[in-house]
Amino acid sequence: MMRSLLNNPYRWLGLSLCVAGAVFSPLAFFIVASVPLTAVGLSAIMLGFVCAALANARPYISPEACQLMLKTGMENTSALLEELNLRNKAVYLPSLMREGRPQALIPLLEDADLMQIRQKLPGRLIVRYGANPDDMAIAVTTAGSINIDLLENNPGPTSGGIEDAVNYILTGVLDIASAVKISNQDGLIRAEITGARLPYENVWYQRCLGSPIASIVAAISSEALAKPVRIKEEIQAKGKISLVIEVLA
Amino acid sequence: MSIYNWFIITLTLVTGFINALLAFMGQEDIQIYFIINIIAYMTVTLLYVYFNPMARRALDGVSVVFFGAFLVIVAIKVVDIISGR
Repeated sequence: MMRSLLNNPYRWLGLSLCVAGAVFSPLAFFIVASVPLTAVGLSAIMLGFVCAALANARPYISPEACQLMLKTGMENTSALLEELNLRNKAVYLPSLMREGRPQALIPLLEDADLMQIRQKLPGRLIVRYGANPDDMAIAVTTAGSINIDLLENNPGPTSGGIEDAVNYILTGVLDIASAVKISNQDGLIRAEITGARLPYENVWYQRCLGSPIASIVAAISSEALAKPVRIKEEIQAKGKISLVIEVLA
Repeated sequence: MSIYNWFIITLTLVTGFINALLAFMGQEDIQIYFIINIIAYMTVTLLYVYFNPMARRALDGVSVVFFGAFLVIVAIKVVDIISGR
C-alpha cells in the first residue's frame, strides 16, 4: 500500500513538499518571526498539493505496456501491408467519409488518383473508392484515428484550430512531444513538432502510414478540414519532426 | 521534458519570484503573500491549457480548495473593516 503510494514521483514530491512546508511554516512564523520565510513554507504546501493532484493524472498502465500494444497493432498492419506488397502512401480520411471513425486508406495501385474520393466509403477492410475496377484500397485504423476520440470538441478548420487540437493530444494527453507549430498554406499543412519522443522508424508500416506522431497530426488535420490528406514528407532531426501534409480534394 | 514538469517548474519560479518581490518591498502581512500566491497559481494553471482531462479535473479540485481559502481571508478582512478593527 505504502509502496504503491510512493512509487509515483509526483506523489512523492507532493508529500515531501507538504510535510516540509507544514514543518517549516510554523517554525518560521513563531520562532524566526519572519513573514517572508513563512510565505515560502506556504508556497511549498501549495506546490505539494499541485504535485499530489498531478500524480493522480498519470496513467495506470505502464509506458512499457502501452508500447507493447502499439507495437502489436503496428506489426499486424505491417504484416498485412507486406503480404499485399503495398508501398503507397496512405490517405487519411475524416470520419464523415468513413463510418464514424477517421481511417487511413492505402491504395492498391501506385499511381492511384485519390483526388476523386468525395463520397462516403463503406466501413470495410477492402474498399472501392472510384469507378474503375482497379480503384481499390485497404482501410486501416491508425494511432491518429483512435486519438480523435480523445478530443473534447471537433478541431476548427484553421491552422490555429488544428494546432490547438494537436498540442492538446501530443503534449497534454499523450505527453509524447513538447510543442507543436502548424501552418496551412496553398493546400499544404506544415507541422513542426519539437521534443518528439516517438521517433520515425524506417519500417514498412511507417513508410506507408508515417510515424505515430505524423499519423496523429494527419488524422486531426483531416478531421478538422473534413478532407482527405496525405503525409507528403516526414523529416526527423534532433528530436524535431518536420511534416508536410498534402490536402487532397 | 513533460508538460507536467514544466508546469511545476513554472509555478515554483513564479511563487519564488513573488515571495522575493514582496519580501523586498517590505510586506509583512502573511495574508497578502497567500492571496497573491493563489492568484499566481490560478493564472499559471489557466495558461497551461493542454493538460489531459484527468489532470485538469485534479487541478480544478486544488483551485477550489485555494479559492475557498482565498474567500475565507477576504471574509475575515471584510468583517474586520465592518467592525472597524
